[in-house]
Amino acid sequence: MAVLKLRIFATCCVLAALPTFAPAADPPVRLIVKPLLCVLDKGATSCTMTFDVRWKSVLAAEYCLHDGAQPAPLRCWASANAGDLQQARQVSEEFFYWLTEPAGAQRLTEVKISVLRVDSADRRRERRTRHVWDVL
Amino acid sequence: MRNPALKALLAMAVAGLFAGPPAARAQDAASPAATGPAPAPTAATVPVQLPAEHSWRLGVALGYGSRTNPLIQSDDIPVLVDVDIAWFGKRWFFDNGDIGFTAVDNRFFTANLMARVNSDRAFFSKTNTKYVTFARAGGGATLPAFDVTGGPLTQPVPLKPPKRDYAVEAGVEVLFGGEWGNATLRGFHDVSDKHEGYEVSADYAYRWTRGRLSVSPTVGVTYKNSKLSDYYWGVHPGEASNVLFEYHPDGGLGWEAGLHTNYYLTKNVRLALSANYERLQHDIAQSPLVDQDYVFGYFAGFGWQF
Repeated sequence: MAVLKLRIFATCCVLAALPTFAPAADPPVRLIVKPLLCVLDKGATSCTMTFDVRWKSVLAAEYCLHDGAQPAPLRCWASANAGDLQQARQVSEEFFYWLTEPAGAQRLTEVKISVLRVDSADRRRERRTRHVWDVL
Repeated sequence: MRNPALKALLAMAVAGLFAGPPAARAQDAASPAATGPAPAPTAATVPVQLPAEHSWRLGVALGYGSRTNPLIQSDDIPVLVDVDIAWFGKRWFFDNGDIGFTAVDNRFFTANLMARVNSDRAFFSKTNTKYVTFARAGGGATLPAFDVTGGPLTQPVPLKPPKRDYAVEAGVEVLFGGEWGNATLRGFHDVSDKHEGYEVSADYAYRWTRGRLSVSPTVGVTYKNSKLSDYYWGVHPGEASNVLFEYHPDGGLGWEAGLHTNYYLTKNVRLALSANYERLQHDIAQSPLVDQDYVFGYFAGFGWQF
C-alpha cells in the first residue's frame, strides 16, 4: 500500500513538473513590473512604492511605456528591444503599466498593479468569529 | 432569559434601534477620502477611492494545523481546511455560524444582537472509550481506583467522556475599532435550555501592516459562569463512577493570547500563519474530564479570498 501511495505521489510530481519542460513560446513583448501589490490598512490612504519596470521584445522597434496617471507616455525608446525604468509613486488605487508602439494606441502588453485594503469601514467585518480557526 | 444583566444589555441594544441608520458610518467612511498633502515632485499621485465592499465574504484556507483537545481520552482537532462564509447586510449579518442584527452603529461603537452556537461542545466530538484501573483527577492526574468492596480495582472498567449537547446562545456584542486596534465586549446566555448559563468576554487585537506583511496579536479574557462550566466540564451524578468522580466546577475567568500573521502574495491569495493559546479557567482545569489546562492551536497555509 505504501509503495502504491509512493508511486501515485511520484506520478503526480512528474505530471506537475511536465509543463516546465514544454517549450513555451516567448511573447513578442514582455513587460515585468515589481512590486505588484499595495496593501493598505487603517489610516493609510496610499503606498509609497518604487516600481522597477523592465521590458523586452523580440523585435527592435520604438516602444512607449504608459501608466494610468497621465495620458502622455512615461518614456519612449527608439529602436530598442529592451528597456527599464524606475518610478517612485504614491499608489492608492489599482492601475496598469503598458507598452505601445508610438503610432498606435493598442496595448502590446500590460501589467496590473493591485491595491488591497485589509481594513474595513464596517466594524462587523473586523470581528473575530467563533470559528475553530480565524485565519482569513 | 433569567439573567438580569443580559436583559439590561438587550434592552439597551433594542433602544439603540432608534439611534439612527447603522450603515451611515460605513458609508461615510467609504466615500472618497482626501488625498492629503501634495506629493513630492518626483512622484505621481492617484486620488484615493475606497472600493465598495461586497455583501458576501467568501474564502478558504488550505494548509495544516491542529488544536489540542483538553478533554480526557480525546483526539486533537486537525485543521486542514478552513472555510470563511459571511454575509453583511445593512442590519442583518451572518458570520461563520453567528447570526447578528446591528442595533446601534455610530462613530463610537457598533452593538449587535447575536445568536450563536456554544463552542465548548466542539471538544466532545472526538472522544474514545478506554478501559482503566485508575480514577481520573483534574489536570491529567490519576488516583488509585477502588471497587465496591473498597479494595484496589483490578479489572479494567470502561471510561468514556460523557456526551454534551450544542447550546444555542443569544446575546449582545459591542465592537469598538480605530487606529488603536479593535476591541470586543460580548455577553451570551443559553436560550436552548442546555446549560442555562452565561458567558461574558472581552478581547483586543491590533494589526500592524508593513508592506505585504500583516501581524496581529490578540488577547482576551472570558468569564464562564458556574452553570455553563458545570454543564460542559462537570461530572454529573448520573455520569460519576469509581473511576470518574462527581465534580461541579464553579464559574471563573480564563484568558487567551494569539498571533495571526498574513503575508499577501496577491490581492486574493495570502500565506497565513496563526497560533493561539487559551488558558482554561481554574475550576474547569481541575475537572476530572480535563487532561490539560490549556488549548493550543496553530495553522499554516494558504488563504484565498474570493
